[in-house]
Order: sequence, then structure tokens, then C-alpha cells
Amino acid sequence: MRSPVTGWLFLAPTILVLTVFGFVPFIYVAFVGFFDWNPFAANPDLVFAGVNNYRRLVFDNQFLRSIGLTLQFTFWVVLSQLIIGYLLAQLFMRDFPLKGLFRTIHTLPLLVAPIAVGAAWRLLCVPGLGPLPYYLNRWFGIDFRLGSFEHQAFITTVVMDIWHWTPLVTLTLLAGLSAMPKEPFESAQVDGANRWQIFWHIMLPLLKPVLITTTFIRLMDALRTVDEVWMLTGGGPGTATRYIGLHIWRVVFPQTDYGYGAAMSLMTLYLTIMLCWFLYVGLVARKPRAS
Amino acid sequence: MDHPVVHEVSARDGFLPIKTNAFDRGFIGVVFGIFLHLLWMRFLEQAIPLWVCTILTVLLGIYIVKRG
Repeated sequence: MRSPVTGWLFLAPTILVLTVFGFVPFIYVAFVGFFDWNPFAANPDLVFAGVNNYRRLVFDNQFLRSIGLTLQFTFWVVLSQLIIGYLLAQLFMRDFPLKGLFRTIHTLPLLVAPIAVGAAWRLLCVPGLGPLPYYLNRWFGIDFRLGSFEHQAFITTVVMDIWHWTPLVTLTLLAGLSAMPKEPFESAQVDGANRWQIFWHIMLPLLKPVLITTTFIRLMDALRTVDEVWMLTGGGPGTATRYIGLHIWRVVFPQTDYGYGAAMSLMTLYLTIMLCWFLYVGLVARKPRAS
Repeated sequence: MDHPVVHEVSARDGFLPIKTNAFDRGFIGVVFGIFLHLLWMRFLEQAIPLWVCTILTVLLGIYIVKRG
């Protein structure tokens, strides 16, 4: 027999975990965001600051630049991963020699911790030691110095993230492609539809739920990237790769400015919610236009 | 007798581009309220105090909840 009590009992562990590890820290951060708090200063107490931390935030050029960089990073990373992930998923739908081995190797980056990925890419990029600067110079004549050129550092962080997380996109899209019914494609071929029409009118609408879910997951992950980039560039050269997570880290830990750090964290959460909401409205829940 | 565990939440059409229930509309009101406050602090606060924005936000929130 189903009853509300049984339902709540099943939900209780999840609600408990979400409350302790999600809701309570959120409330705490929201609370601290309205205070000046530097526990290592002469006055270690919380001093009520009202919305001053938020007022400071909207005039903080370094913070706004970090937001801009993070949005650029997120755009390129998510777009590239969706395109490459889709192409790889289509490849894995076909039969070719050593497919299983290739699929396993392709999935391996997912098993590596982000901090180790950052360390490995740093070794790859060390001038005079890493293979990347050597071959880029030898084959294309590119003077690759991660610590000197801002655009090179930015592109390298993007490529590293694509290398790390594209397998996740491939796997989710592969699951979506595998679960697709064959009948609509066969009917379209019988009706004389070309490949582009089949892709646009049948494949994409059928794949839309999986694509949207994957986009949400990657969007939220990309917006809070810290450890990989921290290991690879440390946010440099200058502030070229100081994405929002790194910027918050620099304010909260070395400067121990906890109140302002909490305000910036909340703004990042707000930005994530806004982006996801617009994406949700645009792609999922939009009302059909009245004809 | 079986009791329904999940209750239908009444969604409705308003001026917002999606069907929403009361919680959705409240949430959207808060999200837009924060956005307005941030813009106000950046561009208008030196001329018009922030409490004006708060009043506008409350009115906008009520409008979104009632008509959204």
C-alpha cells in the first residue's frame, strides 16, 4: 500500500543529506555575505556590513573580468564538447576494428582527478621539457610559452577541459543515440529525406533531452572550474585565466576576506541559476507561439 | 485505499514565457529582484537611494506572482 508516510520515509535520507550538505552551507554563506569578516585581523568578529559586499562587488573590475573570462571559457568549452562529443558518439555507433579498445582509452581521462589533469598538462607545456612547445614550434613555428602569452594560456585551459570532459558528453550522447527508435529514420529515408533533413528534423529532436541534460551538467561544471586551471596556469599570466573560482579562492584564502568571498560565491551561484534558467526557458519549457 | 503520494501542482499561463506555478513565479521574482538591485547599485545608487529599488522590486515581485 502506498501512503504519504512511506513516500516521506523514502525521501528522508535524501532530504537529510541535502539539508546538511546543501541547504545549511548555503544559508551560512548567504549570512556571512552580509558581514565583514576577517578572522585573522585585529578585529576577528563578524561586523554587519549590509549590502556593502555586494556594492563593492559590482564595482570590482577584477571580479567582473573574472566573470567575463569564465563566461568565455564556459561558452567555448561546452560548445566544443557538445560538437566533438556528438561526432565521437556517432563514430562509436558504427563498427570498426578495435572499437572496444578505442572506446576504453577515450574514456580514461574521466577517471583522472582534475588536479592530476592540471599537473599532467603543466608538464606537457613546460618550455624545453614538454612535448607541446617542442612540436608546436617544430611543426608550425609557434613560440608556445604558457607563462608569457595570455591567449595561449586561455586556449590551453580550454583544450585541457575539452580533453578531460568530452568523454562524459560522448558517453551520455552515445546512450541517447543507442536508445533511439529506428522507425522514424527508416520512414524518413523512404520519404526521400536527405541526411541534413534527417539530422535536423529527427535526430536533434529525439536527442534533445539528452543534449539538454548534458549541457546543464557541463555548464554548471565549467562555471566552477578551479583545480585544473589552478595547477596549469595558477590564473596567469597576469589574470588571463583567473576564472571566477580561482578569483574567489584568492580572495578567501590568501586574503582571508571571508565576507566578500561569500558574496562573490553567492553571485557565482546566482549567475549559474540565471544561465540555467534562460537555457531551460529557451530550450525546454518555452510556450508554443500562438498562431 | 491507495493515497496519491504526488500531488499535482497547478501550473498556469501568464505573461512569462513558460507555464509556472506559484513557487516558480516567486523564485523568478526573487531572481529578477536581485538583478535589479545589482544594476541599481552599479548605475543609479549615486542619484537614487537603494530602498527605491527595493520597493520597485517588491511591486514587480507581486506583479509576477499575480500575473506571471
